[in-house]
Amino acid sequence: MTTGLVFDIKEFAVHDGPGIRTTVFLKGCPLNCAWCHSPEGKDRAPQIMHTLRGDRTVGKAYTPEALAAYLNSQIPILTANEGGVTFSGGEPLMQAAFIHATLDRLDPVHVLLDTSGFADGPVFAQLVRRFDLVYFDLKLMDPVTHLAHTGVSNAPILDNLRRLSASRVPFVIRVPLVPTITDTNENLSAIARYLHGLPGLVRVDLLPYNPLAGAKYPMLGMAYPLHELEHRSVTLQPEIFSDKGIQVQCH
Amino acid sequence: MPLTERLTHLKEAVRRGDHRQHRQPGAPMLAAEFDALGLTWMQRQARLITAMCEAEQVVILPDERIVFTRTLPTVPPVWREEAWARLTAGRTLHELGPTSNICADWGMVLSQGLLGRREVALATRQRCADQPETVEFIDSALETIDAVLALAERYADAARDLGREDIAGALAHLPAHPPRTFHEALQFLRLVHAVVWLGGHYHVGLGRFDQYMWPYLENDLAAGRLDHAAAEELLAEFFVSLNKDSDLYPGVQQGDNGQTLTVGGVTPMGKSGVNELTLMVLRVAHDVSMIDPKINLRIAPDTDLDLLCLASELTEKGLGFPQYSNDDVVIPGLVAHGYTLEDARNYTVAACWEFIVPGKGMDVVNIGAVSFPSAADTAIREGLQAGESFTAIMERVRHDVRLQVNRLVDAYSNLLLPPAPYYSALMDGCLETGRDLSQGLTYNNFGIHGACSANGADALAAVHKLVLEGKTVAPERLLTALETDFADDDVLRMVLQEEGPKVGTNDPQADDILIALFDMLADACEQIEDNGRGGIVRPGTGSAMYYIWLARDHENMREPAVGTTADGRKAGTPFSANLAPAPGVRVPGPISVFQSFSKIDYHRIVNGGPITIELSSTVFRNPDAIRKVAMLVRTFAQLGCQQLQVNSLNAETLCEAQLQPELHQDLIVRVWGWSGYFCELSPEYQEHVIRRHQYQLG
Repeated sequence: MTTGLVFDIKEFAVHDGPGIRTTVFLKGCPLNCAWCHSPEGKDRAPQIMHTLRGDRTVGKAYTPEALAAYLNSQIPILTANEGGVTFSGGEPLMQAAFIHATLDRLDPVHVLLDTSGFADGPVFAQLVRRFDLVYFDLKLMDPVTHLAHTGVSNAPILDNLRRLSASRVPFVIRVPLVPTITDTNENLSAIARYLHGLPGLVRVDLLPYNPLAGAKYPMLGMAYPLHELEHRSVTLQPEIFSDKGIQVQCH
Repeated sequence: MPLTERLTHLKEAVRRGDHRQHRQPGAPMLAAEFDALGLTWMQRQARLITAMCEAEQVVILPDERIVFTRTLPTVPPVWREEAWARLTAGRTLHELGPTSNICADWGMVLSQGLLGRREVALATRQRCADQPETVEFIDSALETIDAVLALAERYADAARDLGREDIAGALAHLPAHPPRTFHEALQFLRLVHAVVWLGGHYHVGLGRFDQYMWPYLENDLAAGRLDHAAAEELLAEFFVSLNKDSDLYPGVQQGDNGQTLTVGGVTPMGKSGVNELTLMVLRVAHDVSMIDPKINLRIAPDTDLDLLCLASELTEKGLGFPQYSNDDVVIPGLVAHGYTLEDARNYTVAACWEFIVPGKGMDVVNIGAVSFPSAADTAIREGLQAGESFTAIMERVRHDVRLQVNRLVDAYSNLLLPPAPYYSALMDGCLETGRDLSQGLTYNNFGIHGACSANGADALAAVHKLVLEGKTVAPERLLTALETDFADDDVLRMVLQEEGPKVGTNDPQADDILIALFDMLADACEQIEDNGRGGIVRPGTGSAMYYIWLARDHENMREPAVGTTADGRKAGTPFSANLAPAPGVRVPGPISVFQSFSKIDYHRIVNGGPITIELSSTVFRNPDAIRKVAMLVRTFAQLGCQQLQVNSLNAETLCEAQLQPELHQDLIVRVWGWSGYFCELSPEYQEHVIRRHQYQLG
């Protein structure tokens, strides 16, 4: 039986899509972004987190039945409030079979996939088809810096973005603004050029990097690589996108 | 809309306490003089009002358009100590003694004016001239009315001397006669309400303000005497004035003064009572942003989302109000407890959360609390020692809850309520029948809260699942750990915390026990046919200060305190407040919390006590998110919950959480794309969050 590993569930996640939503965070991610604010979502295995309140195991196994039963009990509420369910991570596509199995058991509801886009092409295409809306991260257009800061190539991500655009599932591009890394004129302009005219694009969300991103690293015995950024602020330049006629939202 | 310049100055002056320079060193001492005159208790209470009104010095501040500044800092006793001790020997006083936490029929008083009330009193006096007790009460009430009128006259004279004809004109007319305008109605209420406090009463609520004030505003708007901006400025001034005396009000701490105001809901005839003043109150409370008055908003599952958005913007201010009550649940519950449908529809919220009927309720809504953690803990320890089944343990809980209820009701069977001739004049039926409110009004019920219910249920659920059902924890091991505060068995504490079913996570096993606890409380209350005052006992879900007191014990507390508990809680740790998951329990969010607490039978549990949730102020950062908060509030009503308090966290709360993390374990902050428990963050990150919040609020 397929079981999934979930590192958190958040109800009333007001920034994870339209309406009132419940977000399921799936554990495990193929990327290793230096600025990641959810380091407990990286590893595919359960981990002990040392918090000020004591130790706590992060990562709970769910069967599709159990997760769907929990979500189904809320679906009338979520639907009545213009919302639904969001699958996020980590990288949810790493547990694509579990998500398929959960969706099979889910009552009708608006579902949103929040993904890095890094996945096997056919697996990606099969899963996104089942969603009403996709939040797709786009971090760096330059292949070399992408590899340097995330540990993976951006080629499969851009391939999947093309697949997503062809799938007719509407999508929002989410750009984390990390000072000196993603938040550069060059990178943002490259993203804007790439997105210009892409079918299915709803808008671009700019997510300013926050110095609190490193908060959880010590609790997991991990080192946060970007301490030098803690006092730098981002330059919000929505016009890079709006000048090209792309709708943009700053968070 | 920002406050006008005049109001900003008025508010700042009150915040600085400029008006306190007018305070007198003390109030006149009266008891000896009363003894010499041989006054009865009733007469003393009336003479107290007279003496206080006479001793008040007139203060008319240059910027003010609504006047009255209290200058007497204290209320003197009406008996000398020995006489007071004799009078109260063997009797139970409610809290400080004087009548508190009820609500006058302000609408009736405004519509009649104090001279109108005087006419009613005189008619009764004539009718009952042969009944000395009635005559004494009526004469006392008349004395207080005359005292207030004389005070108003002195204000009018002083205003005239200062060339403030507007104030002089109003106070020559008020509060003798009904107000002619919204402005006059506010001035009337300010004065008549403040005198109730001067008489030593406290938790003096303002009732259904938007219902009884709207006709005055409506007339002014229709006649073009006022526009909305001018009306809002007057209302803002009234709200600011209610904050002048906050430091003089008795309470556990400043701000805990029960000066509440209720808006929204249905009329006594069942129509929507929402009007322009309802919205104005929410807007102005937002703009004024002071601790008084505390706003309650009555809603229903179909309440307009725009109204709830306005309320959510007020929540964002981090003041802890509005508190929401769900008419669809409260009204049938009151009817099931003997309230007429019209009266039930006309409920207002008392100092904290209890539902009372203005003018008609002489309820003592909080005679104490049943300690659910203690009932559960005693049953668990004794039951496990005796090798009993879970059913038998629950029977012990039932027995304990009943004993606790009976103990409180027994204590209050001796209740001594001092006479209150002035407050009586503001109620329905006292002057009409010649009976003081201490003799009872239409509703004379008691309220008992079932405190710290989540911890009580969690402890029982842990025993049920882990000791008796799953047998993963031996009873002896649990008993030893409870005796030793988990000193040698922290592993067990973690098991109980992590694996025990928890209220607030929509877990059927925990929720079933929660429901059972409240059913037991309702059963115990319902077997009291008469509380000694011709009323019943209403069970509720509040906890007030008991979430600390029951954990740490408190002097002269009737309720039993408790040490280590089977939900994995160490001795001395605070319990859950009102209806909230136990501190430290990880819940997925407010929907599960609502689902858990929606299962309580509010048809039986009618004394109020809110589901309490805290949202980071960063949740409110744009109109779309505000709208989601409004939808969440509507969801609370749609799920059939009774009462809700939503707190938005500000930097002050966060700093407090940093100093006392044990009290703020559930504090959730939005960090960046994820929400975390504030107390799980290491200090430097806490500082970050605080700085960010300060930045945002600044």
